[in-house]
Amino acid sequence: MASDAALLVASNVSKLFGGIRAVDDVSLQVREGTIHALIGPNGAGKTTFFNAISGYAFPERGRVTFRGVDVTRTKNWRRVAMGMGRTFQTPSVFPELSVDENVRLGVRAHAGLAFRLRRTTGEAAAAVDRRVDELLGFVGLTAVRDRLVAELAHGSQRLCEIAMSLSTEPVLVLLDEPMAGLAEAETDRIIGVIRDLRVRLGLTVLFVEHNMRVVLALADRITVLDRGRLLAEGTPSEIAANEAVRDAYLGEGVLEHV
Amino acid sequence: MLEHLAPQLFNGLVLGAFYAIVGIGLSLIMNLTGTINMAHGSFMTLAGYLAFTMIARGSSFWFALIAAPLVAVVVGVLVERTLVRPLYTREPFYSLLMTFGLSLIAEEVYRLIWGANGVPLSAPAALSGAVSLGFMSFPVYRIFIAAVLVVAIIALALFLTRTRFGLRLRAAVQDTEMIAALGTNTQLLYTVNFGLGIFLAGLAGVLAAGMLGLSPTSGNALLMPAFVTVIIGGMGSLFGSVVGGLLIGLAISLTTLFVPAASEVAMYVLMAAVLLVRPRGLFGEEGIFG
Amino acid sequence: MNGRQELVTSVAIVALLALAPVLSPLVHLDISIVSEVLLFTIAAMSVNLLLGYTGLPAFGNAAYFGLGAYGAALSITYWHAAFFEAILLGTLAAFLGALLLGPFLLRRRGIYFGLLSIAFGQVFYFIAYRFTDVTGGEDGMNFPRPPIGIPGLHVSLQQTSFYYFALLVFVLIVLAFRTIVRSPFGRTLIAIRQNEARVRYLGLNTDRFIFVALLISATMAGIGGALFGLLINFAYPLMLDWHQSGDFVLTMILGGAATVWGPLVGGFIYVIGKDIISTITPLWQIFLGALFVVCVLGFPRGILGTLAALRPQKARSAALDPNAAFDPHAPVEIGRGV
Repeated sequence: MASDAALLVASNVSKLFGGIRAVDDVSLQVREGTIHALIGPNGAGKTTFFNAISGYAFPERGRVTFRGVDVTRTKNWRRVAMGMGRTFQTPSVFPELSVDENVRLGVRAHAGLAFRLRRTTGEAAAAVDRRVDELLGFVGLTAVRDRLVAELAHGSQRLCEIAMSLSTEPVLVLLDEPMAGLAEAETDRIIGVIRDLRVRLGLTVLFVEHNMRVVLALADRITVLDRGRLLAEGTPSEIAANEAVRDAYLGEGVLEHV
Repeated sequence: MLEHLAPQLFNGLVLGAFYAIVGIGLSLIMNLTGTINMAHGSFMTLAGYLAFTMIARGSSFWFALIAAPLVAVVVGVLVERTLVRPLYTREPFYSLLMTFGLSLIAEEVYRLIWGANGVPLSAPAALSGAVSLGFMSFPVYRIFIAAVLVVAIIALALFLTRTRFGLRLRAAVQDTEMIAALGTNTQLLYTVNFGLGIFLAGLAGVLAAGMLGLSPTSGNALLMPAFVTVIIGGMGSLFGSVVGGLLIGLAISLTTLFVPAASEVAMYVLMAAVLLVRPRGLFGEEGIFG
Repeated sequence: MNGRQELVTSVAIVALLALAPVLSPLVHLDISIVSEVLLFTIAAMSVNLLLGYTGLPAFGNAAYFGLGAYGAALSITYWHAAFFEAILLGTLAAFLGALLLGPFLLRRRGIYFGLLSIAFGQVFYFIAYRFTDVTGGEDGMNFPRPPIGIPGLHVSLQQTSFYYFALLVFVLIVLAFRTIVRSPFGRTLIAIRQNEARVRYLGLNTDRFIFVALLISATMAGIGGALFGLLINFAYPLMLDWHQSGDFVLTMILGGAATVWGPLVGGFIYVIGKDIISTITPLWQIFLGALFVVCVLGFPRGILGTLAALRPQKARSAALDPNAAFDPHAPVEIGRGV
């Protein structure tokens, strides 16, 4: 596939923390319409790399382009307007607001209605309501829409966060360890939702994951980081067969059942 | 010109060293615990008054110079353990409010014990007089202050870079998540860190008492420049605090020479200029939002 | 609180305040003290918008309060401004102050924002303190209360009429404040307090929201300050000092952060407490300091916040009332200086 089909391109990205290279010269291409996994042992720099490409903390070196535009030092909120959405490792939600209000904030923001003193009325309000209903339905949280997010189980909080990141109508969704801290049943529910992101919404997904079962169930392509460096990239079967990857994971036992 | 300028520059550096050492203490506490210690000036004043009382009761200046800050440290550690530490897990402005309240109480207590007017703390005879350098003369006491502060800063730097505990403290100050990763005894870390900050403040408090005077609010007068020091130098950077303090000291003393009315405003102009160019301060780490 | 309850409570509060000139002599309280409560409350509300709702440690609002007072004082002394003109110019001074400081303060969050607020706020203190020729320096500025400046009505407000004017301004500000915090804009501020990173990843430029919140806050503080200056016919440097800012924060926290009426409760306790205690003992400052300590340890949610927390969970969550949304025990990352 030609590189013009690549939605997100990171070239030679490095991120330093007080002299330590947390991410060292990593390049990556996420192609349109794929589900791309970013894996690696603890401390491999996955989240740091993720933060660098999503504009949470800018990289010291390298270049990031999104939809053909250089966004290396573009403010994170501008990237969102360009079609990039993301979630965080610990669900990043507004815990003291209801599920409905959480998603509504996102929908309102995207509709340009947040910077206002007047409440929205009429057709605009109806459009917001419809969109909120749609998003809650998509992640399956309609039944708990009036509960405070803080009262929900971890998995539901994560679904709420995914709904929020969809409220801005992204073309690329970045998910940082979407299964972290979840029980098996909840994990399966989220695997279903991520699959739907591509199948039903036609989105591109890049996700960081620890759990190899999840990665192999979802990913079209896998990028492996180890100690801040790029270790391997390929299809799931190529990665599973890769000696270096096996070595890096040795002792962690995660590839046992591959 | 030079005969006016040179002493003023020297005074500026001495003043700057005070700001630096107070700023370092503030910075240590702020970075480890997220507490803006509004009572920092009160601990300086406390050490000054303690030294005054010790000397009045017959102890030597040299003994008081070390003992008074140590007593202030004991008070500081007690206050930190009982009143401030429970607030570390809350929004940071609660600890700010707490230390603010404590500084109000302290000020009034000093007024009750030592009177509303200032008291004199005079330097020992060995440190009085001036050294002549031909084109200008320096007061011996100020040279002594400069020397003590320089030694203290170097000792602190060595402690933080050469000892195991110091390295841990530095790592924790730079990245609080590291504390857990290092498996360090956090409680001890908080105590030592706070105590260290108060000791530096106390040392500055005793030395400043002999140069700038001693009154219930004299410590607070150094607090604002110390804040500006931390902002200019960059939060979390001890080296930054040293540079920031010296820059402010020079800025204040030079404006005092030329435009006395603008002497305090000068440091804010300097601060604004630095922040325009580098929002995180000269040596500060970049924030999450750039 | 549902809409009906809120309406009843609000009307009752305003009615009680309207009766204050009749009631206050019964408890030997000068009506000017109650005026002071209202103006102090306005300043505490200005802190509330930034700290209570947006989560920014606004420890420099005395600067805007003082700019309001000095703006009024200077315009009356040098330009012979009328009453309303003086209020307008004082408020404008505060607004311009925030417009000037905003770009610096906006760059940081958390305690660093607090540090910058304290430090930058103090600039105006030193200017007022040092530029003696213009501002009277440490002695401050005495000035008369000018006529109100409406053609044909050449009177100046006396203590009771001044009180009713202050009450009118106060009610208007409460209404405006309520509108703001309940609006989509206000909701977004609350969201910023809870999780700014998420708001940015909803595609919103939070700097813009915070800047506007700062300007609104400074304008409120400026109105409070200008009126306070006109109440006591005096402007002095300590109005601009960080101690004053701290008192505003305390007043706000004491009443209840992120509540509409909390600052009024705090304002009453602070101003009247100060008035009573200072006549009994010169040690008011010790009481004030102790109030800080007790409030932080015992009532971190403030009086109204504590009362709200006693209400059943369902009543709180269903209404999405920001009254209940402020939780001082919500875990925060220690040492975050971003």
